[in-house]
Amino acid sequence: MKLYLIYHFQSSHNADNEFRPAKYRVLYFFNDDEFLDESSLRSRYKDFAPEGGEDLSFQSLDLMKDFAMSFASEFEAEEVRLISAQDYNVGQDSVKDRKGLGQVFAKYGEAVVNPEFKKRGGIFGKLFR
Amino acid sequence: MEKTAHTDLVRPGEQWFFYWKTSAALWESKIREIPLDEVIFLPLNWGFHSDSPESFDFSDSLPERDLLRLTQSLMQQKRKFCWLLPLTPAPFLPNGGVSVSGARTLSLNKEGIQLSCVDAEGTLNKIYSFFEPKVFQAFVKFTQSFGEFLSKHEIRSQVFGAEFFFTENSLNHSYLEDSSQAFDQGFSRYLKKTHSAPNSLSPQEELDLKTKFTQEVRELFSGMAEAALSPYWSGCQKIYCLGGSPRNTIERTLNNQKPQLEYFHDLFNHYSRGEWISSALLTSEEKKGILTQVLQDHFGKTEIEKQYHFKTSSLSLGEEWESYGNVQIIGSLNNSHWKKIGLLDYLDEEFRWMYQQHDEVIFTTDWIEENAHKIKFFSAEGMDRTHFSQMMKLFMMGQKILFDKSGLSPELERRLEIFYLENNLDRQSVNFQTQIVLTTLGDGKFITFEGDKLKTASQAKFVWKNIFKWLNLIQPEVHMDTDVFGLWKIRATNASDLNFLDVRRFSVYNPTSYKKNITVKTQKHFAFMRMNEPLRAKAQSNPQGVDIELLPGGRVSLDFGHYEER
Repeated sequence: MKLYLIYHFQSSHNADNEFRPAKYRVLYFFNDDEFLDESSLRSRYKDFAPEGGEDLSFQSLDLMKDFAMSFASEFEAEEVRLISAQDYNVGQDSVKDRKGLGQVFAKYGEAVVNPEFKKRGGIFGKLFR
Repeated sequence: MEKTAHTDLVRPGEQWFFYWKTSAALWESKIREIPLDEVIFLPLNWGFHSDSPESFDFSDSLPERDLLRLTQSLMQQKRKFCWLLPLTPAPFLPNGGVSVSGARTLSLNKEGIQLSCVDAEGTLNKIYSFFEPKVFQAFVKFTQSFGEFLSKHEIRSQVFGAEFFFTENSLNHSYLEDSSQAFDQGFSRYLKKTHSAPNSLSPQEELDLKTKFTQEVRELFSGMAEAALSPYWSGCQKIYCLGGSPRNTIERTLNNQKPQLEYFHDLFNHYSRGEWISSALLTSEEKKGILTQVLQDHFGKTEIEKQYHFKTSSLSLGEEWESYGNVQIIGSLNNSHWKKIGLLDYLDEEFRWMYQQHDEVIFTTDWIEENAHKIKFFSAEGMDRTHFSQMMKLFMMGQKILFDKSGLSPELERRLEIFYLENNLDRQSVNFQTQIVLTTLGDGKFITFEGDKLKTASQAKFVWKNIFKWLNLIQPEVHMDTDVFGLWKIRATNASDLNFLDVRRFSVYNPTSYKKNITVKTQKHFAFMRMNEPLRAKAQSNPQGVDIELLPGGRVSLDFGHYEER
């Protein structure tokens, strides 16, 4: 199984005379079958963003990766693909149908391999997967 | 027997007919398949008729563009039909409806994701920005050409403008909304014209102006269509597309697709917000089972004809089943307000799916009569003199009105005071968590309260419980889980019924993969009459009411006779 996370990058800017640092916000997080449960995301997010906030934003890409990888361990996922909104758009441009769009997630973005994932070979491996 | 979903791509639901999805040679036979008494809705695929940016073809080059042939087939078969003209990008059309020459800039949402939708055939329709000047020019040309076509061939058929929406994270978005470069360029030109110092705007001011600009562009499209098609124009309809959000587009490509339970949530949320839906994007696989059933039961012919005003309400209840609810929340469609004062939570608990929210009162005789029995909630937030007068008239007509006075303007406060004095009305004042003032006039009940004083959920619940007790709403009590869905209908009694006041039908659906139990308590005002079309369902009556057991994917409807104890 693989996990896919689509995010939006907001560059640093000034708003209301205040400096707002750059942030990475999780838009969609799903595996090959379905979206990850929203309440689990929010509850796990609290461990990664102690300052609070509910919009699944991170101040660095590394922090967002750590957040994503914590689910990779839980789902025993082979990898997590981090796909920026721009990458997703490029992928969408190249496809025409539902099937093609489904393949975009596996082709675009940055793949972060789950080091804990071990491919189980042989007949016993297949039985236990 | 379980009904199978429509597999016909030409007829994707809600009585729509996609003429461009089949050969013109098959139109006649396809039309023949449609029940004679159904109005046929023809969405206009305006990009499909484009020969060049300057010309639109309704007959000459492609038989499938031959709208004269289509209308002649319809008229020969004596069919009632009307057109749906998209006023925003339409998710079921290639490029959102925009012709190839105008499809220059893809529409982006505010997170920078390109808008695209998977249609019922699995095609990914990419949505192009309506803020591209060439799109508006082509739209103007199309509406004028189409108006000339209707006039030349003396086709007297109604045209409805259609604005398409999707829902994501409980928020509705028009497909017109855009954050692309085309929008930015248009907005920049708009700012230069309307503001002398655009650089001094705060982020909030800029956001407000962007909303205003989008609204003005929306009005430009609808105003243009109305002017070009005035003899045929029948107003605008807002249509909420199931499966059409950016999240849904992704979800519908995954192995499990979007669960049927979520479609039920979407559908019933739209219902309680008084929003009209389209299921045109969904595949037959997605619509299978009880989703098709609920669409037929509650978004079918009767409801469609009411929505498009083909059917006017009769002053008294007829023998045909009609949707039944008992509470309306009007104005301040800001859900958070009614949520904050605990009303929505209370209604969800006690009168689930029996209330609807509306932007405003449609102050016509039909609407007033049809909804006379419903308790109406109004909020002072943003209320103007017209709405205030309409609310007071409804009370004078004998209706039950609850008015949240929080934020009432001093002018309307004065008018309310004058209203009490002029009509010599007695007021009973109760200080019960909030200041509640009760007034009666004939059958009419007028209750004012200050919602912002209801600080806690328990306070709010206590107040609503007592107010509803006083209002004495007579309705069977239903106990069911939040992932089971049910709607009520009503009809007058007929010769084969006993001497009841009316008959109520409760249809209940279980889209989960678990067995569910539902209890309906008849409250000494209702008698269980019969069970209809059970599908994986059992019902057992008892002295208190009926116990229902619904297996996964089960549905059943139960009829109850309404009587008053002497």
